[in-house]
Amino acid sequence: MEDSAFSDEFCRFIQTCVTSVDSAELLLKLSEQPDVWFEPAVLARSLGPNTAISDADLSRYVEQFHAGGLIVVGTDRRIQYRPASGTHAKHVEMLAQAYKERPVTLFRVIYALRDLKIQSFADAFKLRRK
Amino acid sequence: MLTFNFMLYGLAVVTSLACMLLLFRAYAASGMRLLLWSALCFVCLSVNNLLLFVDLVVLPTQVDLRPYRLIAALAGLLFLLYGFIWEAE
Amino acid sequence: MIEFMSGAITLGFALAAVFFLRFWRRTSDRLFLAFAVGFFLLALNQGLAQWLSAADERVGYTYLLRVIGFVIILAAIIDKNLSRGRPSRFKG
Repeated sequence: MEDSAFSDEFCRFIQTCVTSVDSAELLLKLSEQPDVWFEPAVLARSLGPNTAISDADLSRYVEQFHAGGLIVVGTDRRIQYRPASGTHAKHVEMLAQAYKERPVTLFRVIYALRDLKIQSFADAFKLRRK
Repeated sequence: MLTFNFMLYGLAVVTSLACMLLLFRAYAASGMRLLLWSALCFVCLSVNNLLLFVDLVVLPTQVDLRPYRLIAALAGLLFLLYGFIWEAE
Repeated sequence: MIEFMSGAITLGFALAAVFFLRFWRRTSDRLFLAFAVGFFLLALNQGLAQWLSAADERVGYTYLLRVIGFVIILAAIIDKNLSRGRPSRFKG
């Protein structure tokens, strides 16, 4: 099965830090230039004309990256990619690889994990549990 | 007419009870709090439906259980909306 | 007090219906659409029952809306158990 290549640990990373495709692209963009301080809004705009991230979503993603130990936030609210450990860096590398090689699977996993709780409500009504 | 009402409102009771049971079972299996709040909502909706059943079918003229029905429904909705707002993602 | 609770309940059911619609958009699971419709009918029942006075004989008919709402929910549960496949397209 395709999804078996994503370990539980990587899935937990996705569930807490990468809750949408936009969020994944932001993180990858940050990780490509680890020495640069970015203004979040500018970074979001640099994703291209087809991507529009609301301010609320953007601050939520930044908060998730920060809580997940992936970035530091400066006093001027600019952010820089700084993974807290080797494991964190490895997860981002796996994300980059998946984004390049199996984007469809990755996107499916991102949204399935995001909607896990909601889906569990619907699945509760299955009489026969697998 | 009475049997018709009996079946209709009885069906509502049975449905809300079924939802309650299925959600509690799923909560017991997964521990997901969203399911707990949803189950509690259907406990209250079942009470609400049961009281409606009594109000309309069993003792239509003797009692007016409207205040109690409303309290049950309101409690149920508070449980559900709390779960949706805080535990859904 | 009764009117206050009745209004709050009407709004509560409607809000829950909106949440269910949102969940349906996210997961494409028909069950959520059915719950949204069902809860919307419950909101309608509550609103109409309050709007018509208790002496109005049409009040009895508004409770049929509630029954239909629960029947739709029941149908959704049956549907979930009869049809096994779930659409697996990802949502952007």
